[in-house]
Amino acid sequence: MVSLIRRTVSRGFLALMILIALLPILWTILGSFKKLKDIVTPVPTLIFTPTLENFTTILQNPSIRDGLGNSVVIVGVSVLLGALFGIPAAYSLARHVERKKDDLQFFVLSLRFMPPVAIAIPFIIIYLDSGIYDTLAGLILVYLISTISTVIWLSVPAFERVPREIEEAAAMEGCSQAEIFIKFALPIAAPSLFGSLVFTFVLVWNELLLALTLAAENATLPVVAASITSLGKEVPWGVINASTVILVLPPLVFIGLLMGFINRMVATGRK
Amino acid sequence: MANIKCTRIRKSYGGHTVISDLNLDISDHEFVVFLGPSGCGKSTMLRMIAGLEEISDGTVSIGGRDVTHLPPGERGVAMVFQSYALYPHMSVYDNIAFGLRRQKVPAEEIRRRVDQVSNLLGLGQLLERKPKNLSGGQQQRVAMARAMIKTPKLFLFDEPLSNLDAKLREKLRTEIRRMHLELKTTTIFVTHDQLEAMTIADRIVLMRAGAIEQQGTPSEIFDRPATRFVADFIGSPAMNFRECSVHVEGDRAELVSGSIRLKVPAKDYRDLVSGARVEVGLRPSKMDIAAEGDVNIISGTVVLIENMGSEGQVIVDVDGREMSFVTKAFRTIEAGQRINFSIDPDNIHIFSRDDGRSLLHAAA
Repeated sequence: MVSLIRRTVSRGFLALMILIALLPILWTILGSFKKLKDIVTPVPTLIFTPTLENFTTILQNPSIRDGLGNSVVIVGVSVLLGALFGIPAAYSLARHVERKKDDLQFFVLSLRFMPPVAIAIPFIIIYLDSGIYDTLAGLILVYLISTISTVIWLSVPAFERVPREIEEAAAMEGCSQAEIFIKFALPIAAPSLFGSLVFTFVLVWNELLLALTLAAENATLPVVAASITSLGKEVPWGVINASTVILVLPPLVFIGLLMGFINRMVATGRK
Repeated sequence: MANIKCTRIRKSYGGHTVISDLNLDISDHEFVVFLGPSGCGKSTMLRMIAGLEEISDGTVSIGGRDVTHLPPGERGVAMVFQSYALYPHMSVYDNIAFGLRRQKVPAEEIRRRVDQVSNLLGLGQLLERKPKNLSGGQQQRVAMARAMIKTPKLFLFDEPLSNLDAKLREKLRTEIRRMHLELKTTTIFVTHDQLEAMTIADRIVLMRAGAIEQQGTPSEIFDRPATRFVADFIGSPAMNFRECSVHVEGDRAELVSGSIRLKVPAKDYRDLVSGARVEVGLRPSKMDIAAEGDVNIISGTVVLIENMGSEGQVIVDVDGREMSFVTKAFRTIEAGQRINFSIDPDNIHIFSRDDGRSLLHAAA
């Protein structure tokens, strides 16, 4: 009986904590389905007629639509190129570099130490001079610093976990270095590599400062969503909420996928 | 024809030399075991022959062909790893067939050969499974099938049984031995388990600190250890060692340590002179309770008896230090009693105290 009470209380407490943590997000989601008059009431309304108006506004608003498109292209391409360069680099570091390996890895990691503000200003000048200011290519270029270094940093341990003996067994069967990488190291490390790509994706998807300083017309979604908040006296709360939901959705889906992969990896590891 | 010849092999990591000036010949069809404590260089030797480890100096030839600088895939060797190293993302069938597919062997031929080896090793039912769904013993068999299917000139085994439980280890040991009798492929097998080496080898190469300490058939190594290290490493229970002083009288030498007095024919040993100090080794399995007429009798107090089933190891306090011997009649002995046990002069090993080498003339 006592244990039952204790369990109920602790569960109730847990639920309360979760509710508190999720409340802002839930409120945002709720708000994205409300009309403006339901949002600005002095007493918050929980019962209202839901509307998709905000989402329609958002998706019909050319700047948000463009922002979404730009985000997908910029983030997609920079993560893809980051993987293309970063994964083979990580494999080489994990397997073939012995001297100065730690220094190299630290250098790669150190690229992530610098606050974006510190590089934003020199980049503006360089970009303006070279004519790639406010272009998709420019943003992709600057994001590559992030994506390549993050992919390398997270993929080295993934390759180090591939048993060396498996690669040696492949070498015994006459496989070349390239074959060992493509047919063995890559598929065996794939679940962890996928995790590193998702992490990298989320990182650049949410990036605001560099996108804000290095682009004007070709802004990404975070920039557009941020700009809506400064539209003037008539703040379109519903639209802001809806844009936030749209902004959060892709990383959320990716993180969900990531958790699935991690769980599966842990499950097979336990076997 | 696949004899192996290693000439003046040296292996250094940076400035640190782990193997120096090692020469080794292995003849065709031979089953050789590299035995030694961990860190003695036996696995490094194997990996150099496989081509997985660069050779700092010297040459390796397989079947008369110099392979020193060939990549592993072109040496005609197959290897079974300690961790099995199965490809986790492929089925058992694909694991076994991978090598043949790379060589562009026709699919029909592959199917036939996979069936053949998988039946030989009892893997017929498991071909569609993934390695992670197999037991340790089954994984081990898949690794063997993968090595066998290529019909290599040389099999290399790197401690293949050390991850298995004792019973399975014994079973697979017999299987590997039987497979060798059938295929007659030259084989090098690395282990640190002396019992495994004794049971499986045609010839044991016993290594220590990057050099060959002794090589020979299992009985040569067991009966005539060339050094104290070999005598200590081989045999279970381990050999008893006593430091003794020597007294020579005519053609007999007496070895004395406290109450122990052992008589041996002096002419069989070199450097046995009165007053010399030597290390004497007595194998527990070569001693027994003293019988009427025995000469080399040792007496002491029984400390405890270890029942090993059909035999028992008796631990005896002799002059304050423990010695052990093995007897079938252990059930009649009780702890605390006085006991006399004896050893045949032929089984007394005498080693130099300086370099640990055997003083027996016949020892290699």
